[in-house]
Amino acid sequence: MPIKTSDHPFLTRLAESEADPFMQAAVAKAQDAQWDKRTAARQDLGNWAQWRELAEQIRQHVVRYLPDYLEEFADNVEARGGHVFFAKTDDEAANYIKQIAIDKGAQHVVKSKSMVTTEIDLDKKLLEIPGMSVLESDLAEFILEEDDFDEPTHIVFPTLHKNRDQIRTIFHDKLGYDGDNDPQHLARFARKYLRASFLQADLGVTGCNFAIADSGLINLVTNEGNADLVMAIPKTQVVVMGMERLVPSLKEAEVLDQMLSRSAVGQKLTSYATFAGRQVDGESDGPEDFYVVIVDNGRSNALGGDFEAVLQCIRCGACLNVCPVYRHIGGHGYGSIYPGPIGAVLSPVLRGYQEFGDLPFASSLCGACSETCPVKIPLHKLLIKHREVMENQLHMDHSFNNVLMKGIGVATGTPAMFRMAMGVDHTMFGPLSKKAPISTENFINNGGFVKNAPSLAKGWTDVRDLPRPPKHTENFRAWFKKHQSENKHA
Amino acid sequence: MTEREAFLDSLATAAKRPRHQLQDHPFKPLNDLPDTTLADLSADDLFALAEKSSEAVHVDFQTTTKAALPQALDAFLAAKAAKTPMLPTSTAFADFGLTTWRDQLTPQPSFWVPNAGREANIDTASHADAAIGFADYLLAESGTITVATTPGQGRAFHFLPTHYLAVIKKSHILSRSRQAMYRYEKAFADGSLKTSNINFITGPSNSGDIEMVLIVGVHGPLDMTYLVVEDM
Ligand code: SF4
Repeated sequence: MPIKTSDHPFLTRLAESEADPFMQAAVAKAQDAQWDKRTAARQDLGNWAQWRELAEQIRQHVVRYLPDYLEEFADNVEARGGHVFFAKTDDEAANYIKQIAIDKGAQHVVKSKSMVTTEIDLDKKLLEIPGMSVLESDLAEFILEEDDFDEPTHIVFPTLHKNRDQIRTIFHDKLGYDGDNDPQHLARFARKYLRASFLQADLGVTGCNFAIADSGLINLVTNEGNADLVMAIPKTQVVVMGMERLVPSLKEAEVLDQMLSRSAVGQKLTSYATFAGRQVDGESDGPEDFYVVIVDNGRSNALGGDFEAVLQCIRCGACLNVCPVYRHIGGHGYGSIYPGPIGAVLSPVLRGYQEFGDLPFASSLCGACSETCPVKIPLHKLLIKHREVMENQLHMDHSFNNVLMKGIGVATGTPAMFRMAMGVDHTMFGPLSKKAPISTENFINNGGFVKNAPSLAKGWTDVRDLPRPPKHTENFRAWFKKHQSENKHA
Repeated sequence: MTEREAFLDSLATAAKRPRHQLQDHPFKPLNDLPDTTLADLSADDLFALAEKSSEAVHVDFQTTTKAALPQALDAFLAAKAAKTPMLPTSTAFADFGLTTWRDQLTPQPSFWVPNAGREANIDTASHADAAIGFADYLLAESGTITVATTPGQGRAFHFLPTHYLAVIKKSHILSRSRQAMYRYEKAFADGSLKTSNINFITGPSNSGDIEMVLIVGVHGPLDMTYLVVEDM
C-alpha cells in the first residue's frame, strides 16, 4: 500500500475508529505501558536532556550535509562490492527492485519490517512477477499480510488493533492453525511456518535504521531476529532506505540505537542491533549481491525549508505513544501509513495538502509529542506551521478552501476530538469568549474554533460549556489522566 | 551526468546549500556522554552490572573458570538435552583450553565450516538444537554480547539453532556499546578485522506483537546463556 491507506473522508475514518472499542482500549493500554517503560529506560540512562541534544545534533548535522554523507556512504557500499541506486520516486524504487528480482530469477522474497517498502508499495510490484511469493517475516507484518494486507496502525506495533482471537482466526483460516489463542502458541506456530519459508528464500528485502557513511554498512535494530535471517540466508539482499537515514560512523549509530531502543520499546538496546553489508571473502552466508535503494519520494520537499526538522526522525514511535489524539482515533484514523504526530507532519510534506491537508488538524497541539521526541523535533510547532502554510496558500488559491475546511472538520468532528483540540491549549479559548465568527483564518491563528458555526463544528454544542482547560504549563500527564476520567463520565 | 550526481545535486539545490562542505565541517559531538557514562566502574563493578543487565533481559548468566569450562559447557548441553550441538571453527578453542573437549564431545557436534558453502552451513545450523559460540565483548550496561561474523562462525550460527550459549572472557566486559565501537573501528582501520557483519545481541529474540504480551523466542534462539570465564 502506498502512503495513503484510505480513500474514506477523515470523519468516516474517525467514526470507524470510534466504533472499535477494542482498538481504543488496546491503544490506551499500550500507551500507558510504554509510558512507564520509556520513562524508566530514560531515567536509567541519566542526563536525558543532554543525550537528546546529542541525538538532535547528530541528526541535524547529517541532514545539513546530506548530499555529502550520501556520497560517502554510496562510495563505501561500492567499495565493498555493493550497488547503490538513487530513486527520486516510489515507482522508480519499486521498478528497480522488481528488475533485480527478475534478473536474479527470484521466486521467494522474504522481507523484514520496513515502512519505506510499504511507502513504495513494493509487495504489489513484486507480486506482478509470475510465480513470485513475498513473505513478511516480522510477526506483526506477517499477521497483517495474512489478513489480506490489513493496514498497520502504529509504526512500532503495527498490529496494536488486533486481539488474540482475531489473530487466531486469521491463522486458522489462512494457514490451517488449529491451536488456541495463547500468544506464545500463536508465535511458535508463526516461527515454524516462517522458518520453512526463510530456508527457501532467494531474495531478502530489509529496511535500514541507519546507514553508516564511513563504512558502507547498514544498521538494523530489531527484537525478533527475523531481519538477521533475511540478511543471512538469501543470496541477494536489497536494502530500501529513506534518503535521510544516515549517520557519520558506528559511534553515532550506537548513540542513536540507544535512543531508539529506549524511546520505542523502553529497552536499553533491542535484542538485535546489527551492522551489516555485502559478504566478504571466506564467509559463507550473508548476501553475495547487495543493493541499497535510497529513496527520496518527497523527502526533499522538506530540505532547506520550514519542515526540515522532520527529516531528523528516527521512527521510534514515542510521539504516537503520548498523543491524546492517537489514543482516541488509533492509527487507521489518520489514513496514512505514518500515523500520529510524526505522520501528521510528515505525510503532507511527502504528498502535499490536497491528500493530507486534514492531518495537521488532527492534533490537540498539547506539545507532548515534541517533549518526548528523542531527537527534539518540534512536532507541534510544525503542525502549526502546516496550518500557516495552508492559510498562505488559501490567499493565493481560493479553491484551497476545501482543504482547509476539511481540516477544520477534522479538529471539530466529534465531541472528543473537539475537546482535545481545545483541551490543552489554554489560549485556544480566547476566540470562544470573544464570539468571533468562524473563518478558516481565525481557526488557524487561534488554533481553535469559534462559536456560531454549528454546521461546521459537529459536536460543538456538546462541549461549549466545558470549563476552561488547564494551562499548557501544567503537567501534561496529570491533565491527561483527568481528561480521561472526564471522558469516562461524559 | 550520472544518475547519482543528478540526485545529489537536486538535494543541494532544494536545500540551498552547496555540496562538498563536510570536509570543512566534520561532525564534532557537543558532549562526551557516550565516553563518560559508566566510565568510572571497576572490573568487578562492570561484572556485577553485566550480570544484572543480562538477567533483566532473560539471559541465563553463568560464570566459570578456564579449568572448569569444559564441565560448564557439558552441563549446558545436558540441560538442553542437546542431540545435535553445533560449534564454530575457531582458534578460540585453543585459547580457552577447549581443544580436547571439542574433539571428544558427545554427541558428536557439527561445525560451521569455512568454505563449506552457504547451503551446507545453513542446513547444519537449522538442524542444530544448541550452539556454543564465542563472543567478542559483553556490554555491562545493556547485557549485550557482540560478535563479528567470521568464516568459521557465520551470521546464521547465532540465529538458527534452538538454544544458544556465548562464551566470554571477563576481561572483555566493557561498559557500553561505545567502547565496543572504538575497538571495532580500530580493528577495521588496522586491517585486523575483515567482516561483513557485527551483531549486538541482547538476550533471546522476543516480540510484543500480540496484545503487547512478551513472547520470548520468536525467530532467533528460544533462550540465551552467557558463560563468563572469570580468570580470563
Ligand atoms: S518524530 Fe520523534 S518521537 Fe516521533 S517517531 Fe520520529 S523520532 Fe520518534
